[in-house]
Amino acid sequence: MRRLNAYALTFRLPIIIWQALFFIGPLIFVVAMSFFVVKNYRMVETFELTSWAKMISRDYVWSAYRYTLVMAGSAAAIASILAFPAAWFLAFRCSARARQVALLLLIVPFFTSYLVRTFSWYTILAEAGVLNGGFALFGLGPFKMLNTPFGTLVGYLTLVLPLVMILQTVTMANIDTRLVQAARNLGCTPARTIWSVILPAGKTGFVIAALFAFILSFGDFVAPFYLGGSNPPTMPILIIDTTKAGQQWPRAAVVAVMMMLTLFSIAFAAIVYSYRKRASR
Amino acid sequence: MTEPLVTFERVEKRFDDFVAVKGATLDIGAGEFVAIMGPSGCGKTTTLRMLAGLDAPTSGTIRIAGQVMNDVPAHERDTPMVWQSLALFPFLNARENVEFGLKMRGVGVSERRQRAMTWLDRMEIAEFAERNVETLSGGQRQRVALARALVTEPKLLLLDEPLSALDAHLVIRMQSVLSRLQRELGITFVYVTHSQSEAFAMADRVVIMSQGEIAQVGTPREVYRAPRSRFVAEFVGRNNILPGEVVASHQGMVSVQTPLGTFNVQGDAAPGTSASIVVAADMMQVGGGENRLTATVISEEFVGSMVTAFLEASDGTELKVQVQERALADLGLETGREVSLGWNTADGHLLVDETP
Repeated sequence: MRRLNAYALTFRLPIIIWQALFFIGPLIFVVAMSFFVVKNYRMVETFELTSWAKMISRDYVWSAYRYTLVMAGSAAAIASILAFPAAWFLAFRCSARARQVALLLLIVPFFTSYLVRTFSWYTILAEAGVLNGGFALFGLGPFKMLNTPFGTLVGYLTLVLPLVMILQTVTMANIDTRLVQAARNLGCTPARTIWSVILPAGKTGFVIAALFAFILSFGDFVAPFYLGGSNPPTMPILIIDTTKAGQQWPRAAVVAVMMMLTLFSIAFAAIVYSYRKRASR
Repeated sequence: MTEPLVTFERVEKRFDDFVAVKGATLDIGAGEFVAIMGPSGCGKTTTLRMLAGLDAPTSGTIRIAGQVMNDVPAHERDTPMVWQSLALFPFLNARENVEFGLKMRGVGVSERRQRAMTWLDRMEIAEFAERNVETLSGGQRQRVALARALVTEPKLLLLDEPLSALDAHLVIRMQSVLSRLQRELGITFVYVTHSQSEAFAMADRVVIMSQGEIAQVGTPREVYRAPRSRFVAEFVGRNNILPGEVVASHQGMVSVQTPLGTFNVQGDAAPGTSASIVVAADMMQVGGGENRLTATVISEEFVGSMVTAFLEASDGTELKVQVQERALADLGLETGREVSLGWNTADGHLLVDETP
């Protein structure tokens, strides 16, 4: 046993207190609340499985759950694929200086409120918006893009694409270029190095980038609400709806706990997968 | 030399303002073990990378087996390289690393597995085939890198300071592994190193480079005994260099006047030419020789059975003498003592200074 080091403790204490107050505390409270019941629009602190039984038996909960999983998964996959060529270019074809500037520019979107960026899509995606105006020139459309799953996806990508691009760029910039050269030296075509060297060498970074995209999309309320028109609802929208309908906070807590369990298991699986080393005998 | 496998014809490589390789012209024969050596930044690694197609020459022509290679991309060449960093793929196990080149050439799964195992076996590391390369020792990783490069049975193997990361005792071991491999396979090795002992121990010929230019090409013995420039004489080390001026020349013998005296040496140069006499440290004798001077012992460097004594002549010139350790006491080479040094005229080498 190491002796308790007062010096180390002094520096670690704030983060421990912070986590306890604002993460573990609320987490315990939400879990506890999922066992409360509502009587006469009043929450009663008790331990009953009523809310769990109610929510788990409802089809609309599970269809919202599946829809949220598919949408967040699609956002993670599409963001990873869309970001890759640009990140590859920044990592391998740019000077270090150009890369720094590009990374700085990729951070700029985060300066603006996500809500503002979401609303700006209204003018682009609306029936009489910029995109449909462009399609009309070719006699196409108008296409309904707002209040559709497509709108939701656009919103998710607005949130996660810059982040995924930053993480992928940093990942690839840290790959030892001698590995790429060694592959070329052994007969690997430039295009094939992406599959044979870059993806496996940067696996951890690519998985973490996709994981972040998934987590942010899975819990996002803004995109499915404003751009997807809550139709069909995602899990965060289910939480809002449930709290509004008859003060059903315990049922909302059940949804929240379901979401957290899902995120914990997916994050755990992704991290185990990305850090897994080859079995050594 | 038989038909050369590799030819460099006035090859030049520039990186922006920096000229890495200047007008290199060189033939490398099939089955030859050639070492390219020189100090850091002399252009030796760039020369190797141009052979692999990883850098393109700015001008000049590189041919391999008669074919002009300038525009052939790296992945279409069969010029595998053993890297200084080894550059093993950390995400593949030892066997998969060895299979990589075969996989890229479209060799089927069972055949490439079998060929990889044959090479791992030959390199005596078959038992580590399924191990993560990061868990292997330096020597084992070295062998994986060699197997990976040789599994496609190339005609030409490039080696970029492959032993520089190994412990001294492993270096000697790997040198004999490399020498034996090269003899058995009969393929051409081009070996870049800054280590004279590695180059001299293994190579048929050495190419000495300095500031992007080829300073001398020859067998290790030629380069060691008959350096063509002061740079080479100093680079191959353990040489005594006595600069002076030719004062007489007669029938293949010249006299060079140096601050330490006038000495005779075989060679041909007109009187008035500035020239140096080079005497290898192991040719210096204590208390003997036809050409004599005196110097004070400064220090000794002990390397096993041989000792190098460092001495200083009256004008400050540093001199080196290599003697058997067991003879040291008899010779009276004690620090601070003044001794008489000498060498036989036939053991000296005339170095006419390049006209600036």
